[in-house]
Amino acid sequence: MSEFYASAPIEIREDLAAAHARAWDRIGRAGSWWDGGQRVAIAAETRHALSCALCRRRKEALSPGPIEGKHDSLGALPDTVVEVIHRVRTDPARLSKRWFRGVIVAGFSEEQYVETVSIVAHVVVIDTMARGLGLDLLPLPLPERGKPSQYRPRGAKPGVAWVRWLEPVDLTEQEAGIYPAGRPTANIMKAMSLVPDEVKSFFDIVSHQYQGPLEMRDFSREYRAISHAQIELLAARVSVLNQCLY
Amino acid sequence: MLLRASGLTQNRAYDLNSVTGAVPDNGGVPHGRLLVQFAEAVLGEDEEALAGARAALRTAIGPAGLVDAAGIVGLFNAIDRIADATGIPLEAEKAAASADFRAALGLDRFDVAARR
Repeated sequence: MSEFYASAPIEIREDLAAAHARAWDRIGRAGSWWDGGQRVAIAAETRHALSCALCRRRKEALSPGPIEGKHDSLGALPDTVVEVIHRVRTDPARLSKRWFRGVIVAGFSEEQYVETVSIVAHVVVIDTMARGLGLDLLPLPLPERGKPSQYRPRGAKPGVAWVRWLEPVDLTEQEAGIYPAGRPTANIMKAMSLVPDEVKSFFDIVSHQYQGPLEMRDFSREYRAISHAQIELLAARVSVLNQCLY
Repeated sequence: MLLRASGLTQNRAYDLNSVTGAVPDNGGVPHGRLLVQFAEAVLGEDEEALAGARAALRTAIGPAGLVDAAGIVGLFNAIDRIADATGIPLEAEKAAASADFRAALGLDRFDVAARR
């Protein structure tokens, strides 16, 4: 039984608590391109971004580009990494391909970029749910020793996203199972496939916090305490509030 | 898109304008207005509004429902960031199936893939 949320004032489903525990544990361990200390620093900076004065000024501006300044950061990460974390956390709807290219030119590899976006997303999933429930934020995991695997999938190619990705036909044995079988692979699954372990981790949460790929389209029965219609209304309202077409 | 699909398979008419917050009632979805208010409050900064929305939703759908609702808000708050940060477009079949209501609701202005 997972001890995650054991003292929460509201009961969190066991499978969901266990999925969060797995995700949190992974943040503290070496990934593919960042070590455990760097990954925890990215998670901490994700939280810190919400109090950044530059981000707030940019968010309020008609366009974020002309607003210059320095991010309020915790100081543990290079400026370019901080820029990515803060923009993805606080103003994702106005990211552009030009901005992305600028980040890559500044020295970020596409793989590091994808892993960074994934860590931000993991923290956002868990922290936003905590906010919704009125729970204290989970303490960040302690970083573990270890070196990044630097695993780069051989079959990754440019596609329609800004970053290279893996089409299902290009998966090797090492990436087997990152996409669900029996249905077309959604772009949101391919989006982070340049770092396959991040796809596995994020969609582990998805299957417990949302619904699995088959359950989400099975309208003949309900799998959660709220109905398909209620789930999709919430999902769509959030996406509109975030100004995200996807 | 899945909201409409859910309605079609259940033979229920959901008011898709609910996703823009423009519908003052439930839009055909049980407790739809409370769900929308909860999502808006979680993503907003008004703590009092959030406490009120949370309490009202919990009363309406129970603690397990509230947990699942908060989970969905959290998940899509993250999925939107992955989509925007990687510049992925809608899949062709989803784009075709949703073209009418995207246009009607003015959602195409959020298309990250069209951004340079």
